Amino acid sequence: MTSDSIQSGDDPHRLLLSARELTRRVRRTQRATWFPLLVFAAVTFASIPVLRYTGNHLGPCRAVPGGRICKVYSNAQFVYWPIALVLAYVAIATFYVRRSRARGVGTRVRPYAIAGIIVAAALTGVSLWELHNPLVDQTSVGLNGLPHRLVSPGAAIGLALLVLAWAERNRALPLLILGYLAVVLVPITFGWVNASPPWLFVPPLVIDGSVLLLGGIGFALAQRPLRTPAP
Amino acid sequence: MTGHPANGLDDIVHQRVRLGILTVAHEARRADFGYLRDTLELTAGNLSQHLSVLENAGLIAIEKGYAGKRARTWISLTKAGHTALSEEIANLKLLIRHIEHPKTPPD
Repeated sequence: MTSDSIQSGDDPHRLLLSARELTRRVRRTQRATWFPLLVFAAVTFASIPVLRYTGNHLGPCRAVPGGRICKVYSNAQFVYWPIALVLAYVAIATFYVRRSRARGVGTRVRPYAIAGIIVAAALTGVSLWELHNPLVDQTSVGLNGLPHRLVSPGAAIGLALLVLAWAERNRALPLLILGYLAVVLVPITFGWVNASPPWLFVPPLVIDGSVLLLGGIGFALAQRPLRTPAP
Repeated sequence: MTGHPANGLDDIVHQRVRLGILTVAHEARRADFGYLRDTLELTAGNLSQHLSVLENAGLIAIEKGYAGKRARTWISLTKAGHTALSEEIANLKLLIRHIEHPKTPPD
């Protein structure tokens, strides 16, 4: 019989199990999920002083009963984020490539870096367009602010991270991304809506950055035993 | 030729080490000689022999280069290698199904 002639070492069950185990080992070797999370946590925290101390610009105004409402945005908002995001993706891609070379495997970072830059550029464009063509009443809090938050840098980071989860075949990362997108998109106030206007934007950024930071630390600890130097 | 799934197995690929090389190269996109040697727990000579078989069959491409001053040998799958690997995996699954459910007719 044909199947009888198959050697025990080439038993189909064992071969398949061996192939699956090798696949898992390669994926573990390639993953460096902690790095982009820590980079974006740093970028998010760094945005706070930049946005706070670079001055504000008066955007388009519209008349309302008893006066008018104007949108105020930081001068650095449309400069800092696009530049910071692109630099972050360049740094992440460089890190992944160097690390994979040192470990002796290829990398799957390219689709993530490309998707991240495209999403960042697209959302910045939409955000700029939306600034002069407000679709809804612009507020940071409440469901009316959802379209505004959908084109925020935080959403751009979260959406691109979904590509990383796919590229790394990482099942844990989508859970973190869902939590991150939840705090980015869903209004969480804890009462700071009444805070002094110059610092009003800080708490959401601190929360977003903290989620990324904690996620990065968690993945770093989980992936630490495998981060051994190349022979 | 019968319809038994074992008949679809490729003798070159249906071997633990060579299937391992193809699997690692597929998942890693390209793998360094040293990584393959350590992962598959082989000696350099043994790995070289298996790589030669796969290269002669046109299933892998071997690229030699340098990383700084260090010589590196990278192994990647050819198009034929990708096809051979996916066919081997499909045949293995079919064979297992055939063994576990003998009455199941092969696809």
